[in-house]
Amino acid sequence: MSPAADNTLMLKVRDGDLGKFSFLFERHHRTLFNFLLRLTGNRDLSEDLVQEVFLRMLKYRRTFRPDSQFTAWMYQVARNAHVDYFRKHKNEAPADRDAEKEDSLVEPVGPAPNPEQQFRKAQEASLVRRALARLSLDKREVLILSRYQGLKYEEIAAILGCEVGTVKGRVFRAVQELGNIFFELSGEKAS
Amino acid sequence: MNCEQIKALGADYLVQDLEAGASREIELHLASCAGCRTEIEALESAWVRLGILADTDPRSRVRARFYSALEAYQDALESNGAGRWQRLALPSWLWNWWPRRPALQLVLGLLLFVTGLGAGRWLSGGQKASGEIAELRNELRDMRELVTLSLLQQQSASERLKGVSWSYRVEQPNSAILPALLETLNSDLNVNVRLAAVGALQTFTSQAAVRKGLVQSLLRQNSPVVQIALIDVLVQLQEPQSVEVLRRLTQEQSLHRSVKQRAERGLRQLS
Repeated sequence: MSPAADNTLMLKVRDGDLGKFSFLFERHHRTLFNFLLRLTGNRDLSEDLVQEVFLRMLKYRRTFRPDSQFTAWMYQVARNAHVDYFRKHKNEAPADRDAEKEDSLVEPVGPAPNPEQQFRKAQEASLVRRALARLSLDKREVLILSRYQGLKYEEIAAILGCEVGTVKGRVFRAVQELGNIFFELSGEKAS
Repeated sequence: MNCEQIKALGADYLVQDLEAGASREIELHLASCAGCRTEIEALESAWVRLGILADTDPRSRVRARFYSALEAYQDALESNGAGRWQRLALPSWLWNWWPRRPALQLVLGLLLFVTGLGAGRWLSGGQKASGEIAELRNELRDMRELVTLSLLQQQSASERLKGVSWSYRVEQPNSAILPALLETLNSDLNVNVRLAAVGALQTFTSQAAVRKGLVQSLLRQNSPVVQIALIDVLVQLQEPQSVEVLRRLTQEQSLHRSVKQRAERGLRQLS
């Protein structure tokens, strides 16, 4: 299904054909879950937020315009739901703490490696998660959207409502900072 | 190209979104500027390291919860006027006490009774307590199964969706629950209920009968969105039985375009 097909479906949902919303859920809930999981580092919370985002889109379906892009709109709703959650739960453990605890997020890629390789992979994944969690939210967001969600800088700019140059600058600084964090975390481990 | 221009193009360099000319100019600059070369190499290294975090699947309950909520939302929209009219016919306090689903309410009452009994015995202690607790646990499981089965047979789609949600509470379902869920998947008139059943059955895919049931269901479904959900689950399971069924599906003339695309992608993922 193409982005244009997504937009057509959402316009049908907006006009009252709520059954079409199932197609959009089936097509996008996994992608959205992975975005939220990398953003929060918390599996339970990410699953709850997936539900929240889809219900918000349903509730505010009339705000979807013929010139809107469904994916961009979905990420905008997701960012708002994420921010609202942390505003409401200020006293709860921040995302980076959860990310450090959540070992189940390690997903080995490709054929099953031997135990030593698997261990090293798990260590590396844990380090990457901790490093991501140390970035500020705005840097983490652009990095996740470009590196994992496969969005172009123009699309990210539309989601964030800023200039493309701002996105590129933020990605550059985020990766730069991430490199320093990797160095720090590896140094801590070695000492 | 100078060092400032290299920095300005750093983000594009990472995603390889550069014109051939710009790319060549960057390479030329990097060959002669050690500072920029070190910086770009560090960026590339960090970018590559991020690749260790692969995509992962949400748990199957996400699907069941979403379709329950969607059905409830649709119900609320449809019965917006009717609900108010019904409430006018009886005083509201009397309407709330009226047994609208007597069989189900009886089962829920019994469940509460068994739970209370268990709590009472546990609190009173005694030597037989541990054996009795195990027995009560079994009774509780039987009762949950009874609630699930009872809800799955209700007339209202919202109630049947509750039944699908209840099935998640049964840790080791008996022989009746899984066929009932498969029957729901194949025959329920409501698409949201069938989609929620896909999610619930996904929890039990360690059982060969469930995997077989999901594969067979693919050819029986008339709803494209249910077919897409089933294909996703089967591909995720890397179920070999589904290859043949997916091939047959893609040859159907009347197949919905998006299902055909998903099935063809599924076949590539399974090969």
